[in-house]
Amino acid sequence: MTDSTVDEAGSGPPARGTDRGREAELIERRGGDGSGAADLLARFRERSARDAPPVTGAGSWDLERLAAAIAERAGRFLRGARVDADTDLFDAGATSVDAVELIAVLARELGVRISLDDVFLDGRPRRLAQLWLTREAPAPTAAPPVPPPATPVPAPDDELGWVKADLARADDLPWVEPPETAEPRRILLTGATGFLGGHLLLDLLRRGDAHVVCLVRAADEREGERRLAEALAGYHLPWSAEVARRVTVLPGDVRRPRLGLDEDRWQALAGEVDAIVSVAAAVDFLRGYPSLRQTNVLGPLTLAELATTGPVKPLHHISSIAVFNETGIAAMDEDSPLGRVDRLFTGYDKTKWASEVALRRAREHGLTVTLMRPGGIGGHTRTGAHNPKDLGSGLLSAFSRFRAVPAFRYINVSPVDWVSQVAAAIVYEPSAWGATYNLTGEPNAFQDVLRDMRLGGMNVPVLGWEEWRSAFLAFMEADPVPELEFLVQILRSPTAVKLCEAALLSPAASGRRTEAFVARHGLPAPVRYGARAQLKTYERLAEGGLARLPDKDDPPFLWFHETMRGVLEDTPCELSLRPSIASMYQLARERRLDVTGEVRCALLHPEPLTVEAGDIWVRPLDGIPHRHGLDHPLLRYRLRLRDAAGRRWWLEGLKTARARRDLWRQSRTLAIQVGREGEPAHLAGEVVVPPDSYVRDQIDGIGVNPALPAPEQRLAKLMWLGWFFAQMGWGLLEPSLRAGAELLDLRRDATRTKEIR
Amino acid sequence: MPRPMPRTPPRPLHARLDDATVEQVPLRVSDGTELALHRVYRVDDDRPAVLLLHGHTASADMFVLPETRNLVEALLDAGYEPWLLDWRGSCRLPYNEDGTTYTFDDVALYDIPEAVSLVRARIGTRRLFVVAHCLGALSLSMSMAAGLVPGLAGVVAQGVFMTPKVTVPTRFRMHLSFELLRKRVHHLPVDFRKAGFRSKYTPLFALASLGADCPDPTCQMLHNSAWSTGASLFVHDNLHPRTHDRLADLFGTVPLCVLPHLRRVELAHTVVRWNLSDHRYRALPENALDNADRIDCPVLLLSGSENRLWPDANRLCHDVLKARHPRLDVRYVEVPGYGHVDPFIGRGAALDVFGHIIDFLDGRR
Repeated sequence: MTDSTVDEAGSGPPARGTDRGREAELIERRGGDGSGAADLLARFRERSARDAPPVTGAGSWDLERLAAAIAERAGRFLRGARVDADTDLFDAGATSVDAVELIAVLARELGVRISLDDVFLDGRPRRLAQLWLTREAPAPTAAPPVPPPATPVPAPDDELGWVKADLARADDLPWVEPPETAEPRRILLTGATGFLGGHLLLDLLRRGDAHVVCLVRAADEREGERRLAEALAGYHLPWSAEVARRVTVLPGDVRRPRLGLDEDRWQALAGEVDAIVSVAAAVDFLRGYPSLRQTNVLGPLTLAELATTGPVKPLHHISSIAVFNETGIAAMDEDSPLGRVDRLFTGYDKTKWASEVALRRAREHGLTVTLMRPGGIGGHTRTGAHNPKDLGSGLLSAFSRFRAVPAFRYINVSPVDWVSQVAAAIVYEPSAWGATYNLTGEPNAFQDVLRDMRLGGMNVPVLGWEEWRSAFLAFMEADPVPELEFLVQILRSPTAVKLCEAALLSPAASGRRTEAFVARHGLPAPVRYGARAQLKTYERLAEGGLARLPDKDDPPFLWFHETMRGVLEDTPCELSLRPSIASMYQLARERRLDVTGEVRCALLHPEPLTVEAGDIWVRPLDGIPHRHGLDHPLLRYRLRLRDAAGRRWWLEGLKTARARRDLWRQSRTLAIQVGREGEPAHLAGEVVVPPDSYVRDQIDGIGVNPALPAPEQRLAKLMWLGWFFAQMGWGLLEPSLRAGAELLDLRRDATRTKEIR
Repeated sequence: MPRPMPRTPPRPLHARLDDATVEQVPLRVSDGTELALHRVYRVDDDRPAVLLLHGHTASADMFVLPETRNLVEALLDAGYEPWLLDWRGSCRLPYNEDGTTYTFDDVALYDIPEAVSLVRARIGTRRLFVVAHCLGALSLSMSMAAGLVPGLAGVVAQGVFMTPKVTVPTRFRMHLSFELLRKRVHHLPVDFRKAGFRSKYTPLFALASLGADCPDPTCQMLHNSAWSTGASLFVHDNLHPRTHDRLADLFGTVPLCVLPHLRRVELAHTVVRWNLSDHRYRALPENALDNADRIDCPVLLLSGSENRLWPDANRLCHDVLKARHPRLDVRYVEVPGYGHVDPFIGRGAALDVFGHIIDFLDGRR
């Protein structure tokens, strides 16, 4: 699995530039007939052709003027953001829809025709202007007088040329002595408003006493603090006066030379911090290398420059196992050779490769550079905080909705809390600096994932990747889920699909150095990011509309019949119910069953009443007695009924455990109260499960979703019976245990201790 | 009958509060028991006061750990005046080891209400909050249900409040195994050095060491065994190394005299009175939960997500109070990654926990 959760540079969740779901929605809406961006583009082109001003040739523009004109038009879409000729439009917050509209505006107003791919490749107005001028220039003599650049600049679509040029920058770093090997007291952290960066900020504060300076893209400190607080809250991380007193927000921008700081501030920063942690990164599988390099490559190089300015400091960089994202790579160990950059698919992979290789060169200059490579970063095991636009979150949600999984080898994913805890420990441990660590945790093998799903009662057929992809896309087309549109966009992008393929076929990553480090420092050992660890994240994904938990509208997972007969105010009454559960999750989390069925009682209506909705809670509120005493609630029924005349009723029932020997009867007897909807109870009675129907209905008569294979059906029955009998047994015994304990209270020494000598 | 004076004075507060003054306030409650009360302040002004109640066998030291950012410092900086009560279950007082008999009825009837009265007498009309931990909070819930501490501005109960519950294995150990032990053992120490190698407690320490990762016997007794109950008091990694080394000072001996009351409370899943026929205790209701409508202030229920001593007890308390007493202002906050006592003594507690407490107090000051 590729790293798709590294933090957006200085931007909070969800990053506007990666909000593909919304973009798709907008594109589709504006497009009218749902035919997508291509049609929208076509329409814009037609319109621009109609409305186009007399096209001015390339000769009438010079680079600076055209770049400024493009920047001015782009600024209209960016709602107040300052856009100049060197601003990357996506970094400034542009979406794909904005890009579509921008190229239409450029064609219409300036007669400048560029493609969407050109904008994705490099979204800076100067580069767009240069690209168009290069293409359109009629003859060399007509070319505008562009001053030759000091260093050769690659063509905008020459990704490898850009990589080479960026790597060469590392050679400009000075040669330095090793840093002082002491626990840091003041740490510079970039990317603190992102998913991993936010968690790492808190872990840096928890693990040691250092003060953390967070570089945040903002107009001033106040705005930066607000952005940081909002981002942390979005990830269920604390922001309080106690956190704020150990954090300084530094307005700046990792993409700009010297982080956008003036000379004095740059020098002061270099003198005051004693460690640098580089987390900021732009994560987007659709944008090209030139579009991402400023954040992902030049940013870390600027931090390396800062590390060598003033007292030498260690630089700890969050890389990614995306550096191995080549199809067929043999191994992904900490010391394995990286993938070949020309075989990496997305611009994102290439930027992570280039930053790592550039920083390895920095190591040769004496700089202490620690490289930490997470794989996929899963949600927090306890808070469920996750990155909603992460590929892993998308796939997990897709499995829950589509109920089918593509075959894969391993998922190299670990929860954010473990990644961040280990990374923070490395930052504080001088003996660990300067090495490379895979923070990939314990790989999740395909068979383990399937086993988790089966135990959770999810029958998931396995499909080949391509079959799964096309079936999923068809499924999403038939029943679109706006929150998952970003995943649809990725799965439709040929480049991103190759990335997914490479990740699904990749070997297990291993991190022996990391394992040794965590063992040496008493940190939690890497564990598989299995069903239990993912549960909270899964719940949050469902809350956010991405994943879907089974509910009563689904075909039931398991059901049985329950018949109860008795009287309601001396009138015979019969309950014929069908309790069911949608999943084992429902039992474990809520201890609740859904109920349908009917109630017959002439006192209510001559015809049977239908159970419109109903619930049964097993040992409600942990069986705490309603009033002081030894009567503990065992099962609580709450039914909403409708009679043949359309009137609504409610029925409340309670099975109660008492400290008496008639346990068998207690387990079958339900005291009921009935009332009209919105009115208090006015009828009461008692119904009992006939002893001869209990085994027939509630054990032999258990039904299980026939879509499950036979062994899973048997497993489901066993799990239900084991769980239910344990709960009932414990609930029935509780009052007797309390009564027995009262005998112990009569012991002579119950409240008297002897004098201690 | 008045209780004897402590044979030894309370151990001094282990605190380093450089810029604050610690004032010792004498407190002898009406059954004759001498307790310890400290007021911590920087300047005499009209700040709201916060009374801090420790857990059983701990002491006020748990709020003033010098090695970490502690709750008292955070409260002072946030504009509050902390008051620290060592109730009779404190390890800074001698009662847990000198054979004195008491139950949580005594704490609910004497210690907490009389400490609150004394603080009130000193602070006048200023607002008074209470932040309580574990059995301090459980006893406080009984005082509140009895109407003995009316008019508080707010209460923070950490770990457990009105609905104690433990895991099934802990229940068996606590209720059955201890009954077997009680003939021979009258208290359970945590400090192996104090107990000695050839003592009758050695098998209990051996039991606590089974499966433990940490070699420290005191840590094993608390983290891996929670006084032989099989529970756990904290998440090991959450402690500062110096706090870890001081565990024997922070937690003391458990007197087994409290166990029958604790058993009755735990089996009922609510706070019930022990002294049913002793009319001196008639001010306390038989069952605190049935009288929860007497709670007259907002309550914040806090718990670590990894609380292995009273797992989910405060979540349950929140659900029960909301269902049965919907007019009460009760909220529940779960702190991810924290255990039972580390929400106060953990090295990151200021970052992860104190903000919740101070936000709650600020909302009602």
